[in-house]
Amino acid sequence: MRSIFHSALFALLLCSTAFGQRVSGSLAGSVTDAATGAPLLGVNVVLRGTIIGAATNAEGKFHIPRVPPGSYTLLASMVGYEQAVVEDVVIRADEATEVSIQLKQSVIQIDPVVVTASRREQSFREVPVSISTVSAQSLLERNIVSLDDALRYVPGVNLLQDQVNIRGSSGYSRGVGSRVLILLDGLPYLTGDTGEIDWETIPVHQVEKIEVVKGAGSALYGSSALGGVINVITRGIGSEPVMRFRLFSGMYDDPRYAKWRWSDRPRWNSGAMLDYAAANGPLRYLVSASHTLDEGYRQNDLQRRWSLYSKAIYELSPYQSMTVVGNLLLRRRGNFIWWESLHAATRPDRSQLNNNVTSRRGNISASYKEFVDNSFFYTVKGMYFGNFWNADSAGSVYTESASDLLSIDAQGTYEAGRGNVWTFGTVANYDRVRSTIFGHHPGMGGALYAQNERSLTPTLRLTAGARYDIQKVSRLAAEGAVSPKLGVTYQASDKTTLRASYGSGFRYPSIGELFTTLSGGVGSVVVIPSEHLKAEKSWTMEFGVAQTIGDRVFLDAAIFHNEFRDLIEAGIRIKRVKLSPSDTAEMDRAVIQFDNITRARIQGGELGIKVDWIKNMLNSEVGYTYTWPIDLSSRSVLRFRPRHIFYTSTSLMLGNLKLSSDFRFISRIEKIDDNLVRLVPIIHGDQRVPVKVTDVRVLYELPRLGFPLRVGLNVNNLFNYHYVELIGNLAPLRTFVLSIEGAL
Amino acid sequence: MPLRILLVLVPLLLACDGGLAPPPLVEPGIGGTVTFAQNTWPPRDSLVNLWIVASQVYPLDSAKVFAGIIANPPTIYIYPALDRSLPLYVDSLQYTFPLPPATYRYIAVLQRHRDELSIRSLRVVGLYTAGGNSSQPNVVTVRPFEFVGSINIHVDFHNPPPQPF
Repeated sequence: MRSIFHSALFALLLCSTAFGQRVSGSLAGSVTDAATGAPLLGVNVVLRGTIIGAATNAEGKFHIPRVPPGSYTLLASMVGYEQAVVEDVVIRADEATEVSIQLKQSVIQIDPVVVTASRREQSFREVPVSISTVSAQSLLERNIVSLDDALRYVPGVNLLQDQVNIRGSSGYSRGVGSRVLILLDGLPYLTGDTGEIDWETIPVHQVEKIEVVKGAGSALYGSSALGGVINVITRGIGSEPVMRFRLFSGMYDDPRYAKWRWSDRPRWNSGAMLDYAAANGPLRYLVSASHTLDEGYRQNDLQRRWSLYSKAIYELSPYQSMTVVGNLLLRRRGNFIWWESLHAATRPDRSQLNNNVTSRRGNISASYKEFVDNSFFYTVKGMYFGNFWNADSAGSVYTESASDLLSIDAQGTYEAGRGNVWTFGTVANYDRVRSTIFGHHPGMGGALYAQNERSLTPTLRLTAGARYDIQKVSRLAAEGAVSPKLGVTYQASDKTTLRASYGSGFRYPSIGELFTTLSGGVGSVVVIPSEHLKAEKSWTMEFGVAQTIGDRVFLDAAIFHNEFRDLIEAGIRIKRVKLSPSDTAEMDRAVIQFDNITRARIQGGELGIKVDWIKNMLNSEVGYTYTWPIDLSSRSVLRFRPRHIFYTSTSLMLGNLKLSSDFRFISRIEKIDDNLVRLVPIIHGDQRVPVKVTDVRVLYELPRLGFPLRVGLNVNNLFNYHYVELIGNLAPLRTFVLSIEGAL
Repeated sequence: MPLRILLVLVPLLLACDGGLAPPPLVEPGIGGTVTFAQNTWPPRDSLVNLWIVASQVYPLDSAKVFAGIIANPPTIYIYPALDRSLPLYVDSLQYTFPLPPATYRYIAVLQRHRDELSIRSLRVVGLYTAGGNSSQPNVVTVRPFEFVGSINIHVDFHNPPPQPF
């Protein structure tokens, strides 16, 4: 693995010297708010069709050195503002060109800059796949504590409790294996043992934005990008020292039914976060700490979390930077797995009553980025992600698991000519699991990928790429996979962009799926190993259109077709097994075993509309996704997939006051695993209704304090609607949360 | 403007039901019909009691029968009660037999033909059977808050099923 890494680095450095000698000019300028004239910090300024760009500093100024001579279109964008387009910016050899840009405020961001679709910054309109973004602002306004909650408002996405499902790609596997890949600053962030997403280790307060790429994405990201990719991008650090704080405290309301009340006092959910960022010459750093205590609306669902996060960015030169991040989470929570029955929906099954899970999870990452010249830059990233958890019953530990995951990613981006961009790289990972239920297993893998984006005409852009992955887990044979992709965008006019794409995906089974051995756990369930599993595969085809109507309406529509093969499903069946070496004979038991059993097809359409009813005052967003999920093996509806997902969000701004509401509707899950409900058994586990949840919030910015301070009141699940996302798990009741945040 | 009103009203209208609610309380158990073959009833002096029994244990023997009845909690349940009887000399009867949630592997009609309460005074006269096999007992699982109906048993005093003890 080390030799692969060195070879890749050597190749990149070789490229860097080859492309280093060119005649160039430079571009500098300033960006201000069109209404107030105030300089804007953190505006992304890029030359369209190139990788050349910079961000503005606190004075609103930017400087891009070494720009090849020519005529460019300059794009300037920032959340909360309309994108500015400056045509015909001429760069001459050995001359400095200056521009002045004014950005108009806009609640609707029509053309944001995204990085996940092609592993580089590009305009939303250049992306041939469907992509949604969630801003840091919306995380704060919705008082998001765990990142999965933020995804509940993304079109085409729904969650089965904490298991994310993009356009029907995922079913339900109780946290073992994810068909959506999550990235933290571009690096895979699935746990080493179960291959699941641990949302709570992601530092919500440090997130700049989340990008959700819909459809198979293994051609750039490898395993698990079967149904999509979620990239969590953490924010940068400014040059001015700043201390930020956030406090919140909330209370769960009583359920509608007296028999569901299990506590004679209100249950609280509170937290505090403090961070400090500063700069010292070329070094910028941030340290952050937070603590939350969620008493839970259900019995044995209390959760305490402590987290520490730090980030340091060292600018070695104007073209080289090094970033180091450390993140640690300690958590202890009750282990509510399913309810006692629908008569006691807020109480766990009695077998879980004193069960708890304690976890320590953390990651350390480092990345090095160098702009060799304005046509080539490379990044080398590495991350260690460690996970340890144990489950106890009244303090007596009965299960524990530890995993270490090391991943390294070296990537180069080269602009071979105007509108001709190559992205290529290599990836290696090493995984080690030591667990009482998964056993002791190592795993390792590697990959090579390359992609070319080319403008065939000024309006037609083609993307093609492929990736080869190989993975070996423990004593099992190595398994390889080739994942191609193809995409095209056509800018029919300034307001209309058409796109089409083909993508492929695969997912290696997690160590949890392959080796889980569990007997005598919760309920009467026995899980037996499934070493015969092979990788799941998928392909996605999509056609879409992005349309701006006037300057107040933005519409994005897509139709998609996804095919899945060898989907791994946990099946529960009666099997004659010997539970332990001390057993004298095999006996009939209900067992869970994973199998590649399902071929599936999911077709559908998606529509997203953003409307600015009254400029910068009243705006709405609507998202609707229809999926038709068919299990081709049984010719029936695929389990755990909803057919309709609908969201709407409206905001009204009145001076310093902002009023917002969200509503989401998810149609009733048509088919669940009846055997799971019957054989575990989960009493009333088949009971489910459509999801119809309304959240409202009020935010008020306190003026004239000399520093930003905002107070918010959120009422989540306003109508106290009772529903389940996951069988036997009542979703959160009406919750009132008061928050205050500020910066000094 | 109508669209704006719609955007506000749709969530309100859709959310006005409360979603999931506790279901009506159902006492778990089994029920059905016991039918009696015509002209097979024995004389009154050999009909001390007639019961329906539901046993979680099968196969049974004489020791297990009484142990199952007096165990705490029992593994064998008797309907209507040890000191009572099903109606006699009828063509058929409907019954509702409350039972704790469990899997019952042997459900039958039991005749007590002598006053003494011993295994020798008991005989099975009807069996809840599996499919077409009149000698194979059928298994019934009673889940919490679930009543299992159509547990029908045919009694022919002249042709009793195989005795389990």
